[in-house]
Amino acid sequence: MNNGEPWWISLIKAAIIVNLVMLAFAYTTWLERKLLGRLQLRYGPNRAGPFGLLQPIADLIKLIRKESFFPVAARDSVYIVAPVIALFTALAAFAVIPFGAGWQIWHYHVNGEIANVSIGLILIFALGSVGVYGAIVGGWASESKFSLLGSMRTCAQLVSYEVSLALSVLGVVLMGQSLNLVDIVNKQGATIWFFIPQLAGLLVFFFAVIAETSRPPFDLPEADTELVAGYHTEYGGMRWGLFQTAEYINMITLSALAVTLFFAGWHGPWAPLGPLWFLLKVFVLVSILIWVRASVPRLRYDQLMSFGWKVLLPIATLNAVITALLVVWVD
Amino acid sequence: MLIASAGNVLVWIVWIVAAFACLGSGIAVVSFSNPFYSALALIGNLGSLAVLYLLLNAEFVAAAQVLVYAGAVMVMFLFVIAYIGPRTESPWMGGPSWQAAGAVLAAGALLVEIVVVIGLKASGHLAHSEHVDRTFGTPAYIGRLFLTDHLLAFEITSIVLLVAAIGGVILGAHSRRSPEEVPSL
Repeated sequence: MNNGEPWWISLIKAAIIVNLVMLAFAYTTWLERKLLGRLQLRYGPNRAGPFGLLQPIADLIKLIRKESFFPVAARDSVYIVAPVIALFTALAAFAVIPFGAGWQIWHYHVNGEIANVSIGLILIFALGSVGVYGAIVGGWASESKFSLLGSMRTCAQLVSYEVSLALSVLGVVLMGQSLNLVDIVNKQGATIWFFIPQLAGLLVFFFAVIAETSRPPFDLPEADTELVAGYHTEYGGMRWGLFQTAEYINMITLSALAVTLFFAGWHGPWAPLGPLWFLLKVFVLVSILIWVRASVPRLRYDQLMSFGWKVLLPIATLNAVITALLVVWVD
Repeated sequence: MLIASAGNVLVWIVWIVAAFACLGSGIAVVSFSNPFYSALALIGNLGSLAVLYLLLNAEFVAAAQVLVYAGAVMVMFLFVIAYIGPRTESPWMGGPSWQAAGAVLAAGALLVEIVVVIGLKASGHLAHSEHVDRTFGTPAYIGRLFLTDHLLAFEITSIVLLVAAIGGVILGAHSRRSPEEVPSL
């Protein structure tokens, strides 16, 4: 399963990747605040360090030092575990995303991913569907009406858009003829980047990603004007921080998945820069997600649901059927 | 060699932990008084079953189990339970004791039945390990089986699911329309 790579290399790589993803998360929050600021003709954070670069560190120290209290009525054990589930599933999903072709370091072969599994794509969706529990259980355990309503909305929204998300990548799976993300990337490197033939799939995937990460304009689960903060209303300090971390890491992971499925992962149009291409593409996608947040106002709840079921789902289904027909026809 | 045997020990440890988690969460499902916790225990049960599938080289089945059952289906359970609200009274409290006795008897009978069937049918096969192909359990292998040997069952299942989905939509649409038909004051 790990292609002749000693287990301890996988372990070291996993530790490095987890820390890199956490670092990427920290600076995604910085990027988001900076970009949102500039898009709204403000400066954004500019006090802590040059260009406000130390802002994420300052935020972390503030969150950790906050007193961690919770509502008297909350069900403690579940209330404490919920943010941990959310963060764990978010981090674990990155294990199967390939970021390089593999290298020869000294006399060991190092793969460009932590785990090369035959069902990589399904694994990411499975982890995503478990991650929903963080929100539902957290909202329920808080014993607050806002939290409960927020988690109900999260649940309905995430389950609805998961269908479109899964169907939108079916075309890529059919063209790549594999569920293994490494195979899909190699196939794109050898033939064509899948965003050209799978443009419809990419668009559906993109909208579903915004909904799955509950970011504006689909941030109904935590619509501030109606629900205070949704499922994490009663959370504070670093427990709230874990939910936020999970949300941002999901955004990074799904952007990385989009790069893997539609933009040929670590392959670049010219120079063989490997992981740098991967990073650059993820950066561009994350920036686009932030841009959308700054540009589009929040939808109404019924608009969100009808968009998911009546627009995205039919397009994704049609795309999958047409791709299947074409793949058979070309063969 | 050392690492290989360490891997074997690891498999045993994972198997024992998953098996006991499976049994423990199964018992927890029926013994929690709060249905929300029962549903959470059921998720744990389905998850530990997925781990057991993984140990049997059935990666696809394991992932599908988590995605469909532990993910989508149980989310619906939790949704409904959280909506209806907590019912703190224990389901068995105040119930007739003959129900409990009957349940224990039925479970015991089932256990004996399973042990007897396994003993009769598989006694010879359990002693030696079976060679398993690398392709066994992969999505491609399962997909080929679906479209060749089990095509009829596969298609019938899809029709049943389609009928269920349409039925769900019709029931939902009907109940949504009814408040408008009631004349408003």
